[in-house]
Amino acid sequence: MNTVIKTTNLSKIYGEQKSVDQLSITVNQGEIYGFLGRNGAGKTTTIRMLLGLIRPTYGQIEIFGENLFKNQKRILRRIGSIVEVPGFYENLTAKENLLINAKIIGVHKKNAIDEALEIVGLQNENKKLVGKYSLGMKQRLGIARALLHYPELLILDEPTNGLDPIGIKEMRRLIKSLAAERNITILISSHILSEIEQLADHMGIIHEGKLLEEIGIDHLRKRNRKYLEFQVSNDNKATMLLEEHFNIFDYEVYDEGMVRVYSHLGEQGTINRMFVQNDINVLKIKMSEDRLEDYFERLVGGGTIG
Amino acid sequence: MVNLFLTEVLKLKRSSMFLISILGAAVAPFVVVIATYLNEPSILFKELFYNVNLYTVLIIGVPLYGVVTTYLFNREYMENTLKNILTIPVSRIGFIVSKMLLLFIWIMMLTLIAWTLTLVLGMLTQFDGLSISLVMESLSQFSIGGMFLFILSTPIILVTLVMKNYVPTIIFTVVITLINVMGGNSEHRALFPWAAAGDIANNTLPLTYPPEYSYIAITATALAGFIAMIVYFNKTDIH
Repeated sequence: MNTVIKTTNLSKIYGEQKSVDQLSITVNQGEIYGFLGRNGAGKTTTIRMLLGLIRPTYGQIEIFGENLFKNQKRILRRIGSIVEVPGFYENLTAKENLLINAKIIGVHKKNAIDEALEIVGLQNENKKLVGKYSLGMKQRLGIARALLHYPELLILDEPTNGLDPIGIKEMRRLIKSLAAERNITILISSHILSEIEQLADHMGIIHEGKLLEEIGIDHLRKRNRKYLEFQVSNDNKATMLLEEHFNIFDYEVYDEGMVRVYSHLGEQGTINRMFVQNDINVLKIKMSEDRLEDYFERLVGGGTIG
Repeated sequence: MVNLFLTEVLKLKRSSMFLISILGAAVAPFVVVIATYLNEPSILFKELFYNVNLYTVLIIGVPLYGVVTTYLFNREYMENTLKNILTIPVSRIGFIVSKMLLLFIWIMMLTLIAWTLTLVLGMLTQFDGLSISLVMESLSQFSIGGMFLFILSTPIILVTLVMKNYVPTIIFTVVITLINVMGGNSEHRALFPWAAAGDIANNTLPLTYPPEYSYIAITATALAGFIAMIVYFNKTDIH
């Protein structure tokens, strides 16, 4: 799998404050990468560095395998972005705003603007002045602008900020369809865990400028699902018995003698009895109730996100 | 660069600032012509042009063109559009240069409006002494005044880029205007770039210093402003 974004020890220091501290992340081609962190964690600063708006104090950024600072112009042409709330010339219509980008980038396809507006469902609002748009419409227009030049990478900084629940749902659907139908790699930041969980394939968790963990969502879900944990004298025999007697295949041996069973959660008594009857010593049984929120809270050491 | 400039023009569509600036440019011709017509109707056309150009360059021009300058540069911060433009990507120098080109055209257009209004209002109120040579000479003087004010806009752009707000720039231009007014009778006024610009445009440089001193003061101010704003804008983080 090709790496699209790779940062190495990326840091931004303002005076004594380390806004971003030795951040190393990897975003692979075709994936939706969730960049999760509380407000002020350093997400926007990182994104601004990825887009060349802020110069890092030190560290490297490689995008599409090239050094950003040596080939900034060429790299940015392949990226579409929204940084925080997208800004527009409010005295112009949606179409005129997109025309500015199209002219500068050199988008020659005749209906590129109409096409971009159609993707975000603003084709019937294209003559309205942007000053009269709602925040949700502006966010969608921001996506349209980011898509105008058919980018290979989308960088979206909190694109659901300020949207109502329906707007959030629409935005989520739109982002998912862009990744699936256009094979665009997407980096999306958010301070809302459920948002990232529903969208991303992979996520990086940032806190106080530092990357705490980079993890696949599937792996995370599995890690944080409810499970029965058995500490047994013979894990090979135990798993064989689980398959034969209970038809359980959703299990994991994560350490010597430690078996986690992700199904049949209420049947620990029956499973225990079966182990004992088959000469397996059961040293401990534990029911885990971990949730993603618990995991996140443990990781960042705080109560709520944001 | 052409496309970048054309987008700058497009950004002005339906902009109220355009109309406001035209009204601002019309103030000096209206006030001077009407006041002269009422108080000194015997004055010659040449003095009419001189007075309007004097007020335009020294009094109205600095704050008016300063507001136009701030509008052009500051709106990208106010409307949160700078981060979009720079990530398209547009080179930071290209961005500055395209805006300066538009500013030049805007300033010259306002100067031309002031000159045209003086000519038309003067003709309507039937001042004496109008000739083809006067028309050409006055047009040249107005244009020189406008060009100098454009050249001297670089420190104003710098203040706008650094402060990212209308207020400091307006205060800065008001201070310049105040110095222009206070130094109006000073024999050293040729050393103050904005006052020197008015004197050069109207051929009224005092003989205290050689004219080169005035040109050096203007060039040094403009160049220092230009270099500082390019260096600052190239190095600054965009938040």
